[in-house]
Amino acid sequence: MLRKKSAKPVRISLMSPKVLEVKSLSKIFDGGFSLKKMKRNEPTVAVDKISFNIRKGEIVGLLGPNGAGKTTTIQMLLGTTSKTSGRIKYFGKDFDRHHSESLQRVNYASAYTRLPWRMTVRENLMVYAKMYQVAKPKERIETVLELFRMSKYIDKSFGMLSSGQITRVMLAKAMINFPALLLLDEPTASLDPEIATKVRQFLLKQREKYNVSMLFTSHNMSEVTELCDRVVFLRSGRIVAEDTPRGLAKRIQICTVRYVVDGKETAVKVKEKEIAAFLNKLSQEKIKYSEISIDKPTLEDFFLSNSYE
Amino acid sequence: MNKHRIAAIVWRHWYNFKHSLDRMVDAFYWPAMDILLWGITSVYISESGSDVSQIVLLILSGLVLWQVTMRSQYEITINLLEEAWNTNLMNLFASPLTIWEWIVGISILAFIKMVITVVFAGVLVWWLYQLNILNALSWWLLPFMGLLLIFGWALGFLVSGLIFRFGTRIQALAWTIVWIIAPFSAVFYPLQTLPAWAQRVAAFLPTSYIFEGMRAVLLGNRFDLTSLTVSAILTVVYLAAGIVFFLACFNHAKKGGLARVEQ
Repeated sequence: MLRKKSAKPVRISLMSPKVLEVKSLSKIFDGGFSLKKMKRNEPTVAVDKISFNIRKGEIVGLLGPNGAGKTTTIQMLLGTTSKTSGRIKYFGKDFDRHHSESLQRVNYASAYTRLPWRMTVRENLMVYAKMYQVAKPKERIETVLELFRMSKYIDKSFGMLSSGQITRVMLAKAMINFPALLLLDEPTASLDPEIATKVRQFLLKQREKYNVSMLFTSHNMSEVTELCDRVVFLRSGRIVAEDTPRGLAKRIQICTVRYVVDGKETAVKVKEKEIAAFLNKLSQEKIKYSEISIDKPTLEDFFLSNSYE
Repeated sequence: MNKHRIAAIVWRHWYNFKHSLDRMVDAFYWPAMDILLWGITSVYISESGSDVSQIVLLILSGLVLWQVTMRSQYEITINLLEEAWNTNLMNLFASPLTIWEWIVGISILAFIKMVITVVFAGVLVWWLYQLNILNALSWWLLPFMGLLLIFGWALGFLVSGLIFRFGTRIQALAWTIVWIIAPFSAVFYPLQTLPAWAQRVAAFLPTSYIFEGMRAVLLGNRFDLTSLTVSAILTVVYLAAGIVFFLACFNHAKKGGLARVEQ
């Protein structure tokens, strides 16, 4: 078992089939020719030989600071950015040789893409239902819009929707083909907390009901902790850590002890192993505190201490 | 009225103008093209001494047939631009859609929209000027329209390739490229009206043979089938070259990421 996290725990065994295998995937962007310098610019290594897998029903978070290579990785996985080297396999088949077949079972949503704004929500989803050869497309469109409480906007132009509504339509598009694997690039960005919570619940339910696997990028650490079984942490295009959200947080090993003396709060960073000794020291020094709390390290602490070299 | 805010508006658009090739093209290209195209046409009319109704028929037939190339090129290019403007390219090519499926789909759409436009234009000419182009060109209309359509596709793929290669900053080509070809295609005047160097350029354009053919048929002269064959060969070559160029640019765009095309 890798991890359990949802209303109804989902078993992800090491024997579960791999839906995605990434091996030594690299992307080097050509710097192009500079007319000012009259020479080629230095190439940029965006993704540097990363390898990871996603098993059936697993939710994996792709984390890292801006420019770490998360979006480039997702774009290579979708084939919209060509890889420089490495191998991608979907459902055990090579992506290069089974491009359309692979993408038939995958879908994608991003906070940064849109659909044609003059077309209605229904028309837009109909295009993608046809693209993925969905049986009974009308019924499927109604179902996915209902899932995201967007039914009443079905005949509204895409351009007339609010940013939160747009995000929900993009997620509805991502669900249109009953995907076995969802690639989600910051899908809850621009959603209000209530809708974002509902989206997270929805994603967990999809995993619970249909064993949908997901690769998820987000800058919301509590969201990643709530959703993801495992986190792949990228920095400067390289994987610097891979573990459960709790496992990554534990690597920090530093807690924050907060105590209030005479109404004034003091926060002290203490190594996890030395908390008992610290509390003992407070007692020995006869420090009378009215309140005391210990903040365990979180995924956010790991993110902050590992984002830059 | 505040002079600083007025100046800010002027500067805002002047800065934009400096970075926008399409705006610069608008400023110089269209006046030059109008002067060139209508200047040569006027010279032809004044020197021809033909009957006015015949000249009207020639010019209107040229206009209607030119719509075939124009619409088929425009539809291919503008539909790609629409995807870029709507940031929908990523969604499209992250689906099982292949680039060949896109090429065929967009060509069919260009054909359908071209037929709608040409039928509309033909009806308008008949209604306003009592001229029946269908009747005047008879069965010649089919090969003429077919070749002009395919040449329009070729131009469409050429410009679409450039959009994939350089992004939307060269979008002005979508509505200007056919007009670069128009003067050499001799749409509204006979080929011999053009200077010798321009006639040599015209020899490499399938459209020049078609419009010469159109005039020959309308004036009751003999139209050499060899010219039609040359035009057909050139059209096929341009289509093949256009598609090869488009595919190469598409693959190049994927190296930088399709998302960049949308910027």
